[in-house]
Amino acid sequence: MDYILLVILFAPFLGAIGLIFVPNRQALQVRLVAALSAGICFVASWIMFFSFDPAKGGYQFVQRYEWSKELGIAFYLGVDGVGVPLVLASSILLFAGIFISWHIKDRTKEFYIFLLILAAATIGVFMSLDLFFLYFFYEMSVIPMYLLLGVWGSHTKGYLAMTDPEGLKQRDSVGFIFNFASNSKEYAAMKLTLFLSAGAVLALMGILLIYKLSGLNTFDIVALKQHTHFEGPVGTLIWLLIFFGFASIAPIWPLHSWSPVGHAAAPAATSMLHAGVLMKLGHFSIIRVCFEIMPDLTRQLMPIAAVLCIFSIIYGGLAAFYAKDTKYVIGYSSSSHMGYVFLGMAALDYISLSGAIIYMFAHAMATGMLFAMAGWVYDQTHTRDIPSLGGLINRMPFVSGCFIVACMASVGMPGTVNFIAEVMILVGAWHKYPFQVFVAVVGIVLTMGYLFRMMRGLFYGPMDEHYAHAHDAVSMVDRFPLLLMIACSIGFFFFPLHFYDVVRAGVDPLIARIIEVVPIVSHAGGIAPGGGPLP
Amino acid sequence: MTFTLTLSPADLLLMLPELFLTVWLCVVLIIDFSMPRFPKRNLAYLSVLGLAVVLANLVWYDRAGVTGTLFNHMFVLDRMAIFFKIFIVVSTILVILASIDYVKRFKFFKGEYYFLVLMSALGMMFMASANDLLSIFITLEFSTFGFYVLVAYLREDPASNEAGLKFFILGVFAAGLLAYGISLVYGETGKIVLSDIASAPATPGLIIGYLLIFAALGFKIGAAPFHSWIPDTYHGAPTPVTAFLSIAPKGAAFAILLRLFFISLAAFKPAWVLLLVLTSILSMTYGNIVAIAQKNIKRLLAYSGIAQIGNVLIGLAAGTKMGSDAILFYLLTYLFANLGAFAIVIAVGNLINSDEIEDYNGLNRRSPFLAFAMLVFLLSLAGVPPLAGFIGKLYIFVAAIKEGLYTLIIVGLVNVVISIYYYLVVVKKMYINEPVDNSPLVVSAPMQAVIYASLAGTLILGIYPQPVIDWVVGATMMFSHIVAPTVAVVPPIIGG
Repeated sequence: MDYILLVILFAPFLGAIGLIFVPNRQALQVRLVAALSAGICFVASWIMFFSFDPAKGGYQFVQRYEWSKELGIAFYLGVDGVGVPLVLASSILLFAGIFISWHIKDRTKEFYIFLLILAAATIGVFMSLDLFFLYFFYEMSVIPMYLLLGVWGSHTKGYLAMTDPEGLKQRDSVGFIFNFASNSKEYAAMKLTLFLSAGAVLALMGILLIYKLSGLNTFDIVALKQHTHFEGPVGTLIWLLIFFGFASIAPIWPLHSWSPVGHAAAPAATSMLHAGVLMKLGHFSIIRVCFEIMPDLTRQLMPIAAVLCIFSIIYGGLAAFYAKDTKYVIGYSSSSHMGYVFLGMAALDYISLSGAIIYMFAHAMATGMLFAMAGWVYDQTHTRDIPSLGGLINRMPFVSGCFIVACMASVGMPGTVNFIAEVMILVGAWHKYPFQVFVAVVGIVLTMGYLFRMMRGLFYGPMDEHYAHAHDAVSMVDRFPLLLMIACSIGFFFFPLHFYDVVRAGVDPLIARIIEVVPIVSHAGGIAPGGGPLP
Repeated sequence: MTFTLTLSPADLLLMLPELFLTVWLCVVLIIDFSMPRFPKRNLAYLSVLGLAVVLANLVWYDRAGVTGTLFNHMFVLDRMAIFFKIFIVVSTILVILASIDYVKRFKFFKGEYYFLVLMSALGMMFMASANDLLSIFITLEFSTFGFYVLVAYLREDPASNEAGLKFFILGVFAAGLLAYGISLVYGETGKIVLSDIASAPATPGLIIGYLLIFAALGFKIGAAPFHSWIPDTYHGAPTPVTAFLSIAPKGAAFAILLRLFFISLAAFKPAWVLLLVLTSILSMTYGNIVAIAQKNIKRLLAYSGIAQIGNVLIGLAAGTKMGSDAILFYLLTYLFANLGAFAIVIAVGNLINSDEIEDYNGLNRRSPFLAFAMLVFLLSLAGVPPLAGFIGKLYIFVAAIKEGLYTLIIVGLVNVVISIYYYLVVVKKMYINEPVDNSPLVVSAPMQAVIYASLAGTLILGIYPQPVIDWVVGATMMFSHIVAPTVAVVPPIIGG
């Protein structure tokens, strides 16, 4: 049981390495190897989830190996109540994603290799208790996204129809990342990678400053948490570097612009992982670094998030309302919904932060389903343009049914775990940020508006004869991932108790440290001398 | 100055690797001209065999802790010298293996090619041991002569001739600067051994002398603003020579730079930090920004090499024991990533006869192995985990932040993002674009060996670097006494 985290983390990595030795032509073998490694990861995550002891709290299943003494780095793994749901969500989405992308024909092997690396790196961030490895896995998850989007992604509507020869040339020119008019997959992939890398180096600067100023010669989060105390202008600078560095992946307004473009270009399984868990790396890392290491500054500075989340919610919602592309709608809705998580975090309340963490899990399931089905519709019809679609319920009753459930989940209807999470965020944040809660409720109405509009546009009304050949998800391979995510979403609504306990076990010590008022000791350095306990 | 020379056979054992290599390169040359029928390919294997023996010898010296000095401290064998010799020998072995297919393109002097490569390697091994001003000059020139010929080896190709001429003229100019600088330093101090001149007071002549020496060495490593020979020489030279030129001489020159700055100039650290910071910022920024616009893969790697050297200079600017560890580690990661990338350029160049980035379109469909390996090497150069380059960059940054070089780190991090862009443009061509010609590319066995070795180095240094970190920390032990640890800079904080 002690090694369960290593199993969860290394099963996908070893799967990726194993795939290198499977011949490319054996597509079925490739898929089976990928499914096997993801399956091991999936089963192990559930075992971890149920054997996590909420009464004990703290970091559990801890593994620590000295990695480099000179640099003060240890390979230090452990999960608390914040990490457990996210590890679980990642493994569920990975396992579902393997089946969602079962029909990929082009370079199948490489696709699965990059998908497994992406998921494993994401899982690695959720378990790292060492700043170095947190960054290591974080940056490692960004690069596979580039290839997944660029190679297996799809262009946005109208891009390929552009007959302007100059438009095609611009794709290869030096400035094509600045060529905002072209929504090509290359553009999306490059924009995503550069945005996230730029965010990552901001955060790395902050991490290096923590390392230097703590004077402990360690990247160990637990040690830094116990022995350092950051305040003053330099502390604020570090906090801001880390917050905005990681918030760019979250994505907080105004750093969100890579996200809908990236979602739209990505293949279905990648969008699922991307929207489902990759974006949560931002929130998680902020909790892990800012909340844990710099509680005082978090109390002072978190109102920034409370202000920005208003724009995230409203802007994302309105943009989704006007988007005509299925994946853009879901992509903007994800950016909008991430605003709720920021609201839950900003309120610094036991209930709202727990709600934010449950919301991350719930959103992963809901948005995973939506992207999976948008991908299915695209594969069948080769278009994502909502106005040109319609009446698909006649051709694909099963997918339509699932889609309705997914919309319900995304809106936060009772019956799905999203409802619990949303209510917790709103209730918890009410005392501190009533205006933001009001905005969030408006956001729910907006969500209903655009999701139901999209549902009507895709599945109801007259059907274009072009799409008569579209067929439903019939085989078990196609149905299983959707059913899995629905089951998780509904299951946790009816049996939330263990889940709630686990999350509270992680949230309680965090919030207790943040809202406890530490007497401010002023000293010349502004930072408590390393090695000493908290004043 | 009296110069008494007493040499015992035991002393000569310190030079055993060099002496053996000297004999061996004569053997290679003699076999080449006395046995015209002897296949040239086997000459390559013969050279590799000799280098392997040298490598084993060096590893044995390193394990056994053999150290000492010769010729009144002119030649020093310490663990750092052994490190750099291993560095040079490994890169030479890989370069020779990567040249085997390329040598067929030469019309003349196919056998002498290996002789010249070995001779340059020998010169650079002496550079790693150079411990006074005279031996610095002699070894530097000795190692460069081989390169003057090698760069212009494609006689029929005007680009190669141009490259050779440029390299020669600028190289001789740099040699002049070096000689002048050395004469000034000697004139001011009257001593030539690096540790002896450390105690000299700073006079204008001495400062100018050191600046001239630095300029000459800066030319050698290709740091901006002494980089102007790099793009054209890299572009025109035969690709294996470019690969060799981009790695081994830089390693050897850093051995000299480390000795010069950390031993002779240790007392003047506050004065030279700014110089190195500026050179580093200029190299990184210039190299990365100009690399964006390149259409030829060799030129791209040339500019990225300028930027990488800027990164290494961060470690020198840190001016601490940890900075020197980081330099050694970074050079190793650079060795594998850069040599691997060049190996693929050579392999692709042999197969499709082009070095244009445009012709890498769809490489992934034509040879998944080559494309994947290139992806790994480029990402390692960009500094993406879990590859070696990431650990190297982090090591350098950690060393620098401990000295409070914040500006340098900010510039370095911004440059990481810029470099990710242009490396990914190559990745885009390989993976996303469709090939014009769909025929698969087959890589020869020695080339595969080089690529696999570089891949292994890049991955192992990235995932489990601790043994190598231990090695480099041990190799620079001598600097722990010389460079006093600086007092941590307290950041100015207002209020609390």
